[in-house]
Amino acid sequence: MIPVMFIITFLVFSLLWAVPGDPVYAYVGIDVVLDAEQLALLREKYNLNEPFLVQYFLWLQNVFQGDLGRSVESGLKVSEELMARAPVTFQLGLFALIFAIIVSVPAGILSAVYRGKAPDHAATFFSIGAVAIPDFWLGIVSILVFSVALGWLPTQGYVNPFEDPIQGIRHLVLPSFALGCTSCALIMRQTRSAMLEVLAQDYIRTARSKGLYELRIIFVHALQNSLLPVVTILGLQAGRIFASAIVVETLFGLPGMGTFVVDGVLGRDFQVVQGSVLLMAFMVLFCNLITDILYAWLDPRIKYEG
Amino acid sequence: MNTFKSLMKIAVKPTTIVFAVVSLLAAPVFSACKYGGHLKVAIPGHFTSMDPHLGRSGWDAYLWRQFTDHLVDADRGLNPRPMSSLAEKWEVSSNPDALTLTLRKGIEFHDGTPFNAEAVKANIERILDPANSATPRSSLAVIQSVDVLSENKVRLNLSGPWGAGLSQLADRGGAMNSPTAISKLGEDYGAKAVGTGPFVIKEAVQGSHVHFVRNENYWGKDKDGNRLPYLDEVTIRQVKKSSVRTAALRSGEIDLAYASLGDIEAFEADAKFNTSRMEAGKINLMLMFNTKMLDDPNLRNAITHAIDPAFINKAIYFGQNTVADSGMWLPGAWAHDPSVPRPSYNPAKAKEFLKKAGKPNGFEFTMVTFGARKPESEVMQAQLAQVGIKMNIEVMSGKAAGAAFFKEGKFAMYATSFSRYPEPDWAGSNVYKSSGYYNAANLPNPELDALIEKGAALSDIDERKKIYRKVDEIVLGQSIVVPMVYQTFVTVASKKVGNIDTVSMHDGKMNFREVCMTE
Repeated sequence: MIPVMFIITFLVFSLLWAVPGDPVYAYVGIDVVLDAEQLALLREKYNLNEPFLVQYFLWLQNVFQGDLGRSVESGLKVSEELMARAPVTFQLGLFALIFAIIVSVPAGILSAVYRGKAPDHAATFFSIGAVAIPDFWLGIVSILVFSVALGWLPTQGYVNPFEDPIQGIRHLVLPSFALGCTSCALIMRQTRSAMLEVLAQDYIRTARSKGLYELRIIFVHALQNSLLPVVTILGLQAGRIFASAIVVETLFGLPGMGTFVVDGVLGRDFQVVQGSVLLMAFMVLFCNLITDILYAWLDPRIKYEG
Repeated sequence: MNTFKSLMKIAVKPTTIVFAVVSLLAAPVFSACKYGGHLKVAIPGHFTSMDPHLGRSGWDAYLWRQFTDHLVDADRGLNPRPMSSLAEKWEVSSNPDALTLTLRKGIEFHDGTPFNAEAVKANIERILDPANSATPRSSLAVIQSVDVLSENKVRLNLSGPWGAGLSQLADRGGAMNSPTAISKLGEDYGAKAVGTGPFVIKEAVQGSHVHFVRNENYWGKDKDGNRLPYLDEVTIRQVKKSSVRTAALRSGEIDLAYASLGDIEAFEADAKFNTSRMEAGKINLMLMFNTKMLDDPNLRNAITHAIDPAFINKAIYFGQNTVADSGMWLPGAWAHDPSVPRPSYNPAKAKEFLKKAGKPNGFEFTMVTFGARKPESEVMQAQLAQVGIKMNIEVMSGKAAGAAFFKEGKFAMYATSFSRYPEPDWAGSNVYKSSGYYNAANLPNPELDALIEKGAALSDIDERKKIYRKVDEIVLGQSIVVPMVYQTFVTVASKKVGNIDTVSMHDGKMNFREVCMTE
């Protein structure tokens, strides 16, 4: 896992470094004027005069000492910024995933059990719509309906749920909905097809012929055995959610990692980009690790050789 | 029953009339400013830092203008206002050139540090030190050293005459920070900045919002002698999407914001909101040319005469912005002069310029812009094609486009926008001068350079106006830098917010020191 993380940071650093032009000019904002002496000092401060590999290893050296550097734009410590922003993105992603699971798994089960009937058609219609509709459009429409027209929920902003649970959750409802809908659709389709496959198995037919209640057959026998591919897709969706968070964070004014890293890329703020990529790589790989652990828990036949 | 109804009709009518008269008389009382309240504002910009000296974004001013004061305060026309300045008077001297400021007594920074001559010296030396990469350093480059003459008197020793001095001290360079806080916080100062202004930073969440509370010991008063600020609290939120800002205004979550161009008419017609217009709050569309790549002024003039900014304003800006009538010194600034001849839409004249340039059938070139100016660029491309000019468009991010045009010299033209700088020396020194940071070609132009240096040195406004008129004649006459459309800022606020006409400052940025709640 750790080697993968550093390979990713090396690749991202290489891409940033490969962008044509003098990066120091990206450190100067629009409407801002720095003279030649100031620019020269900035180049020295951020090691821009050093060769590419030296720059990367200087950064790596600092990382091993727990120092992710400072943002060129704000001057603030990248580690502190990430510590403030990562929980926001994590909370958003978690809420979006929870929403997706709560809606999609029952919908997928319903769709499989009532295959070819009205619930199946409704679920299929919803899943096609949810995949086709962009997150930002869904976000804007939900703001118009739930915030402006109905006045139920806030239009934007973030409140820490640990400081004010009710307001915190209210501020996360619409962003989670906008972000989780696409995942919801994909998980629902996967649940449906996995359930259909399992429901066609001989042991399910045996269970029915033994006279077991249908609900018991679905939730005890069929569901657990169909969860493996669903868990796989959940792990993949975790990565998609982090990537899509930028759009939702911008729309709803959430101070998360998405906006932070995009501003860093556009500003060639390589300290910000490197630190963010390192953390995001860790989060995605961690999700994959959880997925693998869940496999073993769900299916005792799966064992990992140490 | 019928008698009762008739009696009611007779009684109600005069009662209604009396009530209406009383309401009208009482209305000024009920709509007057009250002390207290929490103003919630949405701003579309990207904030970088709250340090006025080290911040890299023009949007930062929306934050630091709330908690700092300036050595010299200025009105919208950039006329100094000693009454609201940290310096209560100033003296310009020559032989040697110097600017002596007598500072207001009894003022403290929010952390208790006294505001005095030592604090001014510390601030200016911080800006001038190249190691700090301070943004206003080039604007204060004329200052060679700072002498503390007494507790409240400081002398700025200059390398030459500095007519632009007071205006520059009304901008970033004159915003005062607490030296104690800077020394204590170091590089973290940008997140917890400390000033002397009407509001104190209570909480700042990068990328989200900044929450200010009233400075209970603020020294400032408005023109009627009322203590400032009126508001108890101000929260400025970063809300990038215009549709979300509009929704937040309509739902009441936000009290004040700029209206997006497409929503201006709706808000101005809506009785639930007050609006205040500032014409020419910034330059929304400006064409900058690389005079090395497009060295023939006839070619540049052909381009600028083939473009119809009125059409762009109607098609893209809903007709809400204004077509530029002069150069980079916008209406409201003393240097603004609409009588200077400048390019205007005239395809026949454009073709004449092409003939003069020896290219009667047109020519081809590549320009650069950023995403927000792509629609305008496409319209311009179509308009230029009508006179035979083929313009290729390259779209990049803002910073990359700027670097590619100004520093790498890759493109002949840059379609961009620019903040409002009412002090003409800012554009003169940084954009028009041959060594200017925003001069893409950096070709020597002794005549223009001499005019710019003279304009910066003169103190007399009328003399300076003559100089800058000549500068405009050259720059606009040769189509070196040509503003096409000025941006209109329309501040929208709920009815309970008063004094919104005081919000926009000389640089188009917002300031809430005189804003109040009326209910």
